[in-house]
Amino acid sequence: MKKTLILFAAFAALVSCKSLKEEWDPVFTFGDNEPAYSVPVSREAILEQAGIEEFTTIADLKKLYKNNPVVITGNVWIEGQVTTSDQSGNIYNELYIQDKTGAIDLKVGRSALYNEYKVGQRVYVKCDGLTLGSYSGLPQLGFQADDTTTNEYETSYIQLQSLVDAHVFRGFVETPIAPLTVNEATIAAAVSAGYTSDLWGKLVTVKGLTYGNQIFALFYPNPNMAHKSGNPENRVFLSDSGVWGVDTWACTKSKFVEYLNAGVWDTAEVGSGATRYGAITGRPADYLTGEVLDKFGMDMYLSYKEIMIKYATANYISHYFTLGGQTVQVRTSGYSKFADSPLDSEILAGKAVDITGILGTYNGAAQFTLIDDPSISVVLQ
Amino acid sequence: MIKRITLAFAALLAAASLFAQEPTGGVKGTVVDRNGRQPVENARLVLMSGANQLATVTSAQDGTFLIPGLPDGVYTLVIEAPDFLENQVQVTVNDGYVKNMFNLSLTAVQRVSEVDEDNFAAFDMEDSGYSDNPTILFGNNDVFNSIAGYNFSTVRFRARGYSSESQDVYLAGVKLNDAITGYSPYSLWSGLNEAMRSKDSVNGAEMADFGFGGYNGATNIFGTASEVRKGLRGSVMTNSSLYRLRLMASYATGLMDNGWAFAANVSARLGGNDWTDGVYYRSFAYYLGADKKINDQHLLSFVFFATPGQRGASMASTQEVYDLMGDNMYNSNWGYQNGKVRNARVRKTHEPVAIVKWTFTPSDKFEGSLTALYRFGKNGYTALDWYDAQDPRPDYYRNLPSYYYGMVDGVYEPDLNRNNYDKYLITYNTWKYADINSNYTHLDWDRLYNINRQQESGRAKYVQEERRTDQRDLNLAFNFKARPAEWLTLNGGLNARINRTEYYKVLADLLGAEYFVDVDNFAEREFASAPYKLQNDLEYYMINGEAQKIHKGDKYGYDYYAQVRNYGAWLTGRFVAGPFSATLGGRIGYESFWREGLVRKGLFPGLAPNGNKMIDPATGAVIEPTYETDGSVTTSIGRSKKAQFLTYAGKLNLNLVLGGNMRIYGNVGYFNDAPKFNQVFLSPRTRNSMVDNLTTAKTFASDVNWQYSGNGINIRATGYWAKIWDQSKVMSAYDDLQNAFSNFAISGINQRHMGVELGFKIPTYLVPNLSLQGVLALGEYVYTSTPMMTQTVDNSADVVMSDVYVPYWSKTMLSDGTVTQKHYVPSTPQTAASLGLSYNYNYWFIDADVEYFDRAYLDMNPLYRTDYAVAGLDNEITDKEVLYMTTQEKFKAAWLVNLSVGKSWYIQRKYQLGFSANVKNLLNNKSVKTGGYEQTRLVDNTATKARYYRFDSRYYYNPGINYMLNIYFRF
Repeated sequence: MKKTLILFAAFAALVSCKSLKEEWDPVFTFGDNEPAYSVPVSREAILEQAGIEEFTTIADLKKLYKNNPVVITGNVWIEGQVTTSDQSGNIYNELYIQDKTGAIDLKVGRSALYNEYKVGQRVYVKCDGLTLGSYSGLPQLGFQADDTTTNEYETSYIQLQSLVDAHVFRGFVETPIAPLTVNEATIAAAVSAGYTSDLWGKLVTVKGLTYGNQIFALFYPNPNMAHKSGNPENRVFLSDSGVWGVDTWACTKSKFVEYLNAGVWDTAEVGSGATRYGAITGRPADYLTGEVLDKFGMDMYLSYKEIMIKYATANYISHYFTLGGQTVQVRTSGYSKFADSPLDSEILAGKAVDITGILGTYNGAAQFTLIDDPSISVVLQ
Repeated sequence: MIKRITLAFAALLAAASLFAQEPTGGVKGTVVDRNGRQPVENARLVLMSGANQLATVTSAQDGTFLIPGLPDGVYTLVIEAPDFLENQVQVTVNDGYVKNMFNLSLTAVQRVSEVDEDNFAAFDMEDSGYSDNPTILFGNNDVFNSIAGYNFSTVRFRARGYSSESQDVYLAGVKLNDAITGYSPYSLWSGLNEAMRSKDSVNGAEMADFGFGGYNGATNIFGTASEVRKGLRGSVMTNSSLYRLRLMASYATGLMDNGWAFAANVSARLGGNDWTDGVYYRSFAYYLGADKKINDQHLLSFVFFATPGQRGASMASTQEVYDLMGDNMYNSNWGYQNGKVRNARVRKTHEPVAIVKWTFTPSDKFEGSLTALYRFGKNGYTALDWYDAQDPRPDYYRNLPSYYYGMVDGVYEPDLNRNNYDKYLITYNTWKYADINSNYTHLDWDRLYNINRQQESGRAKYVQEERRTDQRDLNLAFNFKARPAEWLTLNGGLNARINRTEYYKVLADLLGAEYFVDVDNFAEREFASAPYKLQNDLEYYMINGEAQKIHKGDKYGYDYYAQVRNYGAWLTGRFVAGPFSATLGGRIGYESFWREGLVRKGLFPGLAPNGNKMIDPATGAVIEPTYETDGSVTTSIGRSKKAQFLTYAGKLNLNLVLGGNMRIYGNVGYFNDAPKFNQVFLSPRTRNSMVDNLTTAKTFASDVNWQYSGNGINIRATGYWAKIWDQSKVMSAYDDLQNAFSNFAISGINQRHMGVELGFKIPTYLVPNLSLQGVLALGEYVYTSTPMMTQTVDNSADVVMSDVYVPYWSKTMLSDGTVTQKHYVPSTPQTAASLGLSYNYNYWFIDADVEYFDRAYLDMNPLYRTDYAVAGLDNEITDKEVLYMTTQEKFKAAWLVNLSVGKSWYIQRKYQLGFSANVKNLLNNKSVKTGGYEQTRLVDNTATKARYYRFDSRYYYNPGINYMLNIYFRF
């Protein structure tokens, strides 16, 4: 009997010990087990790791672009300080970095980058394997473009965390770069220089802008349907003249519906270019026939306005400002946290403002992107 | 009754023999359970003389038997009883005396472990709206359930295709199915196998003494101290599929001379397993029970038990992920934290149950009981939560190769608009070489900590939340059994339930940060310019001008009560006329429930207590309420409307006993049941909105059965047919077409279940003590209706579509009317079979079984069965789209082989030492899908803008070869 009990106890002990040793200990079951702090890398360490004497400047990198996207090969590294934050949501998926020679839009392709990349933080980019391209004149560094029939970009987002970790290295947070003050002449020169201008992508303050009393917006009544230039039946522009009753920097989904319900866009026309069907108060069934009409399904009997409400999304708005003879569009995303913030009444009344943000370009025109809430980045003179 | 007739007949024969000067010898005794010496009722005793069978009797309720009228001689007495090993003894009758054998003991069949909640790995459904609650079959006195319950449990077999919530589970006479979901509550006593071993159960729509039951069987676990087997017991168990170690001990006094009985049971389940990383147990259990028999008429029982602990859960993933990992048991819930495995999804519970039961037996014609049962404590489930940060889940679809190179059925599909082959290769290699990329293929806890640490404000970006479902569940039950006449037995009872379940979440771990902020991340994306709308606790914001900073242990997010009230009465009458009996019964009940919001959510602020619109103190803006479809104000705080239902049911059982060994019986029943709380509220975390046009679910169930039990043969054959209609369901999911989290309410779901069941255990007659055993469950469980669906946007309660048909729910039908596929009730094999051999001799048992499973189907998503989703963006429904979008996935058939062996030894006629072991899935078949679900999302960003594509489905699998070994010691 005693022997039996001993055997029983021995088995229990054996199984227990094995469990505790092999299966129990490595499993975290709440308590203190905080991981080590990750430390930013120093410039020296990166140089050593990369096996280079010095970083390539952004200006030199940009020179590799010859009107077509180029895959960077070789041991090319750039460094720069982060000038943007996506916290407000007006910049999304991207980091703008800047060195003494210029700036570039780094298409990281991940959200909430501000959590890891602080304004002023130095980052080092291993360019080998990345693609340098242009988006309507704006220099971008990303990954090779998607090979799809609908792709219209020269680069794609780096996107994969493993790719980002292999190419983008976080250095220490330093004093943020001060915005460069630009004037009408500087902007005109940059527009004239096109892609090669060192101004695009830089953090700038434009002083003395006045409101142009004009907006530009493009809506897709049913954004799930085809809505490219070949589908004018699913495009509505707010352009040509006036502000269309818009007094906010952009519009969230709810604000979009609010504008529609207010009737301020009732005279906006469906269509684009020379193809104009009529006001959004009309129905697809009134304007269209055949397959084009059939695509709307039962929605064909709703007015375009009703369709826009049914499929409402947040939408960007571009407000026109003028600086002497130069026009600058301030484009704001409907997904930014300040999308529904109204423009200051004094701005609308024509008072000059100083605006700080990223200066970009789109099809030969200067385009301005706010980083922070306008209450900070748009200052009345 | 049959026993009494048998005994009376035997006594009559004995008396007659006095006059006839027939032989006066005989055999008598008491059949007892070897463990605890408790009497075994219904044991069959067969007296043999050589190969001749001389007599068969059945033991009475107290285990006694008598076989009179035997001439002197040497006989063999074979004793058999369900769930016990067969025993044989030699009997010598001398000098015309009745030989008293006193106690004839039977040893209970000790499989490795009873089937309980532990047999199922916990799968996380991630708020998918799908459920994962297997049915458990108990083997009490039924050959089909005994074999199927043990062999089919791991593939989540559901008897007759019915859902888990239709299986009624009672504890000490109280129906204890979850008040909110209806699920059977096995987890409450998981690990207390000894204390909860004694139970009684019925199949299908049969009626039980302890309760009216439903149409999917009913089980009553006695649970009181005097029902726990007497003696001290200890066991050590190890297994490879769930946890490494189970230690269990129990002690029970049995009913002592002083009228007291005490019982205690404790256990611990610890460690991980061989198959699913991150799944672990750190679970304990305790049970204390005391009975006091005041006199022959009154017995008081007190019970208190709980199963405190934590266990890591597993998450279903897509086949793409499983294939990349080369492991169908991959679990995306865990990652390394400082070198240790940490699971984000951990069930943490401590829900004590207290029972007081008064059993009274004023006469031998009446017995009754009054039970009060109270369940309380906490039930938590952790998960990651994040604010304005990247999705940390490793198998998020954008982290997979398929997101960069779109394929349908293994062929590149340009329409999917996904073609970046380099990214595809990089992602592919990241997953393929998972060992060196574990920070991408599993959660990267270190990264989450470091992102939190980078926030100068101390505000957390990632936290671990604990979703709590804390019940206060008071149940009262009065049950009685009366025998006003020999031919009539009445059973009945009254029951009441008052349940208040609080749903809320607390912050479980700040992951290195200082605080979290109580705002709605999803609302912020849409309503950033209206700060009041982001508030999870608008009243805090109104007072303090900002959202609350949350620290560890604080409540946040949502907080509401689910209030449930049930009252009911039931009565059955059993009429006996010779071999024929009929039982007729009915129940009636009233159920009501409502939601009671405890915080005012910014998205659904309602009106101020004075009935006026509120004013945002920060901006001075009027806070506009939203409205329900009936024009009433949508609100998040206070009481919702009350959902009320009158429920009722009726059953009839007819039973005919033929020749003592054979029974033919049948059941019919009609049931009118209330929907459950979670089928009624559209988005209970945010608001009081209820599904429109609420109605009860109706069921008509019937079965016919033939049963034979004698001469070592046990057979049951059953045919059944059931129809269930007017069922409803609510699920929430992200809708890509709305770009918004949405609530889907589906109503009018009808099902039909029909099929046959066969269970048998037959001696081979070739080898002594070797039996052939098997079961066959062949059914067809199909959807038969075209339900309606209403979709609302979660953030705004805006109705996207109202009462649209789901035309492809019950079938895939082409434009010419051809039906290519019926759609089946999912998550259980509709063909399940087992065939094996069972050997019992000299306290050895060896069972070897081969199993076959087929016709199991994937849980369907109603959105994919709408015209809307099938047509795609061009609004044209093609047969290709119908086939692609609406066909229900059928799982591959599977073969499994299981082996069990056990042996026990008696030492000094006082101690018992034994072991039992099993090896399941001996063929190491690792490709057996046991369930899964379709994701609700659609790929809409296509090149042609003509059609939609599905997101990949998620699955869970049966583990490969696994073992259990249990060593037990008793005295």
